[in-house]
Amino acid sequence: MILTLGACGGDDGGDSGGNADDPIVIGVSLPLTGDFSEPGKGVQQGYEAWQKIINEKGGLLGRPVELKILDDQSNADRVVADYEQLIGKDEVDLVFGPFSTRLVVPSARVAEEYGMLFVEPAGAAKEVFEQGFKNLFYAAPAVANDHYNYLAEHILAMPADQRPKTAAYAAMDDPFAQGTAYGLKEKLEAGGIKTVVDEVYPPNTTDFSGIAAKIADSKADVLVGGSQYQDGVNLIVALQQLGYQPKLAAFSTAPTNPEFASAIGNKTAGVLSPTGYSQDAPYESNKEFVEKYTAANGKAPEEDQANGYTTGQVVAAAVTAVGCAEQGECQQKLVDWVRANEVQTVVGPLTWDETGKPKGAHMIQQWIDDDIKIVLPAPVKEAEFVYPKPAW
Amino acid sequence: MPSGALLFQSVLLGLLLGGLYALLASGLTLYFGIMRVVMIAHSAFLILAAYLAWYLHERAGIDPLLSMIVTVPLFFGAGVLLQRLLLTRLRPATLTMMSVLLTFAIALLIEGLLGYAFTGTQRRINLGYGSASIEVFGARIAVVKLIAFVLAVVALSALYLLMKRTRFGRALRATIQHRDAARLLGIDTDKVAGFGFGIGLATAAIGGTALSLDTTIYPSLHWHWIGPLMAIIVVGGLGSVPGAAIAALVLGMAQSLLQIPLGTTWAQTVFYVALFATLAIRPQGFFGGRLAQRF
Repeated sequence: MILTLGACGGDDGGDSGGNADDPIVIGVSLPLTGDFSEPGKGVQQGYEAWQKIINEKGGLLGRPVELKILDDQSNADRVVADYEQLIGKDEVDLVFGPFSTRLVVPSARVAEEYGMLFVEPAGAAKEVFEQGFKNLFYAAPAVANDHYNYLAEHILAMPADQRPKTAAYAAMDDPFAQGTAYGLKEKLEAGGIKTVVDEVYPPNTTDFSGIAAKIADSKADVLVGGSQYQDGVNLIVALQQLGYQPKLAAFSTAPTNPEFASAIGNKTAGVLSPTGYSQDAPYESNKEFVEKYTAANGKAPEEDQANGYTTGQVVAAAVTAVGCAEQGECQQKLVDWVRANEVQTVVGPLTWDETGKPKGAHMIQQWIDDDIKIVLPAPVKEAEFVYPKPAW
Repeated sequence: MPSGALLFQSVLLGLLLGGLYALLASGLTLYFGIMRVVMIAHSAFLILAAYLAWYLHERAGIDPLLSMIVTVPLFFGAGVLLQRLLLTRLRPATLTMMSVLLTFAIALLIEGLLGYAFTGTQRRINLGYGSASIEVFGARIAVVKLIAFVLAVVALSALYLLMKRTRFGRALRATIQHRDAARLLGIDTDKVAGFGFGIGLATAAIGGTALSLDTTIYPSLHWHWIGPLMAIIVVGGLGSVPGAAIAALVLGMAQSLLQIPLGTTWAQTVFYVALFATLAIRPQGFFGGRLAQRF
C-alpha cells in the first residue's frame, strides 16, 4: 500500500488540485453512547488505528488523513442528521459507515443521495443488501449466511465413504444465529446430507436437555449450532451428558469466547467455529495491524477494531488507485473501482457483488489441543482439519 | 413417530426437571401461604445463591454442595430480616400488591449488585463430573441433574416433616390458615411469619445451588425463571407446598414430552397455558385448594 502522489488530489468539493498539506477529511458518525456503544467504540479504535498507521506512512495521496467523528447516540435519526451535516455542511472528502445494521441503512441513504462512496463495518444482516444501494460495500468477509461456506465446501469434497450422511441443526431464534446455521444447512442438504433434527429455540431457553435428547437420539454425524454464547455452552454440556458423540460439531460465536473451554469442562477437542477475524491470520497487513495496535493500546485488536480498520483499508485502496478523494465525480470513480477490484485487508482479500455484499466466507477455526486454530481455508490454515473429531 | 428410547429418555429428563422446578418453586408458594406476599425476588435470590456457589468454587475450590453450609443459614437470616424489617411495614390492606413492587425492587437491586460485583459475563461452575452420566436401560441420567433431584427430594421432605411433625410447623400452618385465630391461641404470628419467610429463602439457597451445578448463570437470568415458577405455584394452589411439587412434576414432564413433537418454543408455553387454564377453570389451583388448608 505504498502511495503515489496523485495529480488530482482535490479538497473540499473543488476539482482543482489540492494543496499537498491540506488534510483529507473523513466524516464518520458512530454510536459512542447508547445501545451500541461497546462495539461502536471498538470500531472507533479501529478507525483511529488505521488513521495513525496511514499517516505514519505519509497519508493518502501524500496528504495527511483527518477523522471527524460524531456521536449518534445509537439513534437512527441522529445518524441521518450527522451524515447530512458531515457531507452537506462540513463538506468532508470521504465518509466511513457507522456501526449496526439499524444505523447503516438510514445513513447509507444519505450517502447515496450525495453520491458518496459508503464503505461500512457492520452490515451482516441481509436487509442491508436488499435496499438497492449502489454505493454501499460491507467491509467484512461475509454475511451471516455465508459464514460456514468453507466448511460446507470441505465437507462436500470428502470422499463418499467418509462424508457424513446426517446432520442435526439447533439454532437460536435470532437472525444472525439462525442465518449462520441455515446457510450451512442449505448447502449440506443440496449436497445430499440429510437433515435429521432441525430445532429452533427462543433466546431465553435455559433447559437444553430436551433438544439434546432429540439430537442424541438421531445419532446425527454432524452437529451444527446457530448459537450465541450461553446457549451454545448449555447445549454442548447437555449433549455430553447424554453421551452423544458427533463426528463434527460446529457452533457460531460460542467457541471463540475466552470462557468457552472452562465452561464446557475443557472437552473442546475438535469443536469448530466460523470467525470473521483472527489476530493470527497470516495476511500481510494483519501482522502490521496487530503489532502496531497492540503496541499502542496494550492489547490485541478484536473483531470490531478489525472491521473499522478494514473499512479504512478498502477506502484507501480505492483512493490510491483512482488518485482522488473529494466530493463530486471522484466518488463515482471510487465506487466503480471498489466494485471491480479485489482489496487486500486484515481479514483477507475482499470482493463484492453488485449489492455491496462481500463474496467471501468466514475462516473456520477448530479447537486443537488447548487452543483454537484456523483450519480452513487452506491458504491461511494454521493446523490440519481434524475429522472425525475426538470424543468429548 | 419418536423412538421408544427417546420417549424413555424424555420421561427421565422430565422427571429430573420437574424435581428441580419443585425445589425452586417451594419457597415461592410458602411466602404466599404464610403472608400473602408475592415474592418476585425469589428467582433473583436463586441466582444470587448460584453466584455464591460459583464464587466459592472459583476462589476457594469448595464444592458447590458444601457452599450450602454458608448460604443456607445466611439466606435464612436474610429472609427473617427481610420479613421483619421491610414486609411487615406494608399495610395489610394492600399487602399483596405492594409486596410485588417491593420485591420487584429487591430483584433489581440483586441483579444490579451481581452485575457490579461479577460483571455481566456468563459463568459456569467447572465441575469434574459436570458432563458425567449414568446409564439406565439405555437412557442417560446426568450426575449433576441427579444430584439436583436428590437435593430437591431431601429439601422438600425436610420441609414437609418440619411442617407436619414439629411444634413450629403447626404454628406456621396455623398462621397460614387463620392468622387471627392463631394469635388468639398464643402463637407469636409475627415471629412465626419471619421464620417462615426465612425458611422460604433457605430453600432458595438450596435451589440456587442445585441450579448452579448445570446452568450458565448471568445477573439477569432470574427474569427467565420467575414466570414458570409463578405458573407452577398458581397451578399447584397458592400456599400448598405439595401442590407446587405435584404441579412442578406434571409441568416438567409435560414440557419434556411436548418438546418432541412441538419443539422448544411451544413446549415452553405449557406453563402459560396451564396458568391460563387454572385461572379460568379452577382459580384455587389444581393440586392445592383443600390441601393448602391442611398444608
